[in-house]
Amino acid sequence: MTAIGAPRLSRRIGEGAFLAFCWLATGIALLALAAILWSLLTQGIGGLDLNIFTKSTPAPGSEGGLLNAILGSLMMCVVAMIGAVFIGVLAGTWLSEFARDSHYGKVIRFLNDVLLSAPSILVGLFIYTIIVAPLKGFSGFAGSVALALIAAPVITRTTEDVLRLQPIALREASVALGAPVWSTILTVIWKAAQGGMLTGALLAFARISGETAPLLFTALNNQFLSLDMTKPTANLPVVIFNFALSAYDDWRRLAWAGALLIAATVLTVTVVARILAREQRRS
Amino acid sequence: MNAQLDNPPETAVLELPPEVVKLAIKDLTFFYGQKQALFDVSVSFAANAVTALIGPSGCGKSTLLRVLNRMYSLYPGQRAQGQVLLDGEDMLSPRVDVATLRARVGMVFQKPTPFPMSIFDNVAYGVKLYEKLSKADMANRVEDSLRRAALWDEVKDKLKESGLSLSGGQQQRLCVARGIAVKPEILLLDEPASALDPISTARLEETIAELKRDYTIVIVTHNMGQAARLSDHTGFMYLGKLIEFGETEQLFTNPVTTRARDYITGRFG
Repeated sequence: MTAIGAPRLSRRIGEGAFLAFCWLATGIALLALAAILWSLLTQGIGGLDLNIFTKSTPAPGSEGGLLNAILGSLMMCVVAMIGAVFIGVLAGTWLSEFARDSHYGKVIRFLNDVLLSAPSILVGLFIYTIIVAPLKGFSGFAGSVALALIAAPVITRTTEDVLRLQPIALREASVALGAPVWSTILTVIWKAAQGGMLTGALLAFARISGETAPLLFTALNNQFLSLDMTKPTANLPVVIFNFALSAYDDWRRLAWAGALLIAATVLTVTVVARILAREQRRS
Repeated sequence: MNAQLDNPPETAVLELPPEVVKLAIKDLTFFYGQKQALFDVSVSFAANAVTALIGPSGCGKSTLLRVLNRMYSLYPGQRAQGQVLLDGEDMLSPRVDVATLRARVGMVFQKPTPFPMSIFDNVAYGVKLYEKLSKADMANRVEDSLRRAALWDEVKDKLKESGLSLSGGQQQRLCVARGIAVKPEILLLDEPASALDPISTARLEETIAELKRDYTIVIVTHNMGQAARLSDHTGFMYLGKLIEFGETEQLFTNPVTTRARDYITGRFG
């Protein structure tokens, strides 16, 4: 019988090196995040004043804010989320409850994963081709459709994942009481998974609120405050893109402020999503 | 009668007099895809009595239970042949509405499965599917069901709290209450105490003994002591076949078949 002594030196070195490498990689990632947040904060905070929320984007040299862009972004994201939640929740439910092991289910799950990682500029071009070009005009709705196309696969995936986590026994228990399958899903399974589903929707919202590429070809931009989504609609990402590339200092200051605003929104939404997810796991 | 015959029979299934039979199973075979799990099972269960099904793991006792409320039909690839007669009506017939069948044949599972809703709503959930009760009637039904499941005293002050907040034993009794609230005729219990501690198990057993007066109960159990304490009749299954079925006392003290005797005396299992 061999005695159980201290681990061999080579093994200890290997383990130490592996651990050090993990720490290093984590450190680099965190450092990059901190650097981004730091530059956003230092450059953006100066431009952040009340005008941002009360005035629309200005001509160079005059006073202005980001009101039209904030409002436009909000409208497009909300409309996009309504469509994406509807499609994503139903598709995720179908994949989890009715097509778990079926051939169709596997194909659609795969296609959804492809869509999930599709470059967003392609989504923008696609919507340009099927909506903007035939209708001969950029519009906020086209922007919403493009954003919905990016959010829906995220919601489909997260919905399917959290529904799959619900025990089979819970479904059987409801069915055993004489409940039809649809009512089991609606009142028991969705309810058990609601925290996770909400988390998925919030993460999708965070994802689309910073998307620029799909809006360049669809919503375009609008200098003025407008609630008409059938016309080109102002939005934060495109305003940031245009202003950041401009030669005017006041425009660039607004671009930084807008970037800070988006980053803060995404951060807040993500943190809320995390907290909700933790609550869900606990219950 | 001497069970120690020179040539003990392979199987011995007691036939109950027709007037006491609630549920009769005839020539039942069952398949999980290609794999056959039940072989020509024929047996009857008496009304207002507890029937226990015992046998080693994988012998088909849970499968048999899942045929009785057609739970298997949720899964494509699983199929049953033969007859399951509830008061003479074949429950395996394609004309039978499975949801209504399941409302008549309730089931409690191995692990407690409270729904993510309040204690009250857990019990009311099944009732709402089939009956339109007034608020007061529903409250009475919920209270009555919780009393019968011996849970009322522990939860009467917190009916609005989540069913998930209860202990494991309480959750299982909540599941029993939920099952009897829809007023089924038969209650199927699939190893209901296997996840419970001894004290909770004792309470659940008391509950089952009480429920016998109003329901026909079929319980699958790994615990032979539990079968002996609770049941009027016991069936012993092995490798998908019903080997022996009879009065519980007779089966435990004087089994006729060699397999049942070997299992009960602990020679295998």
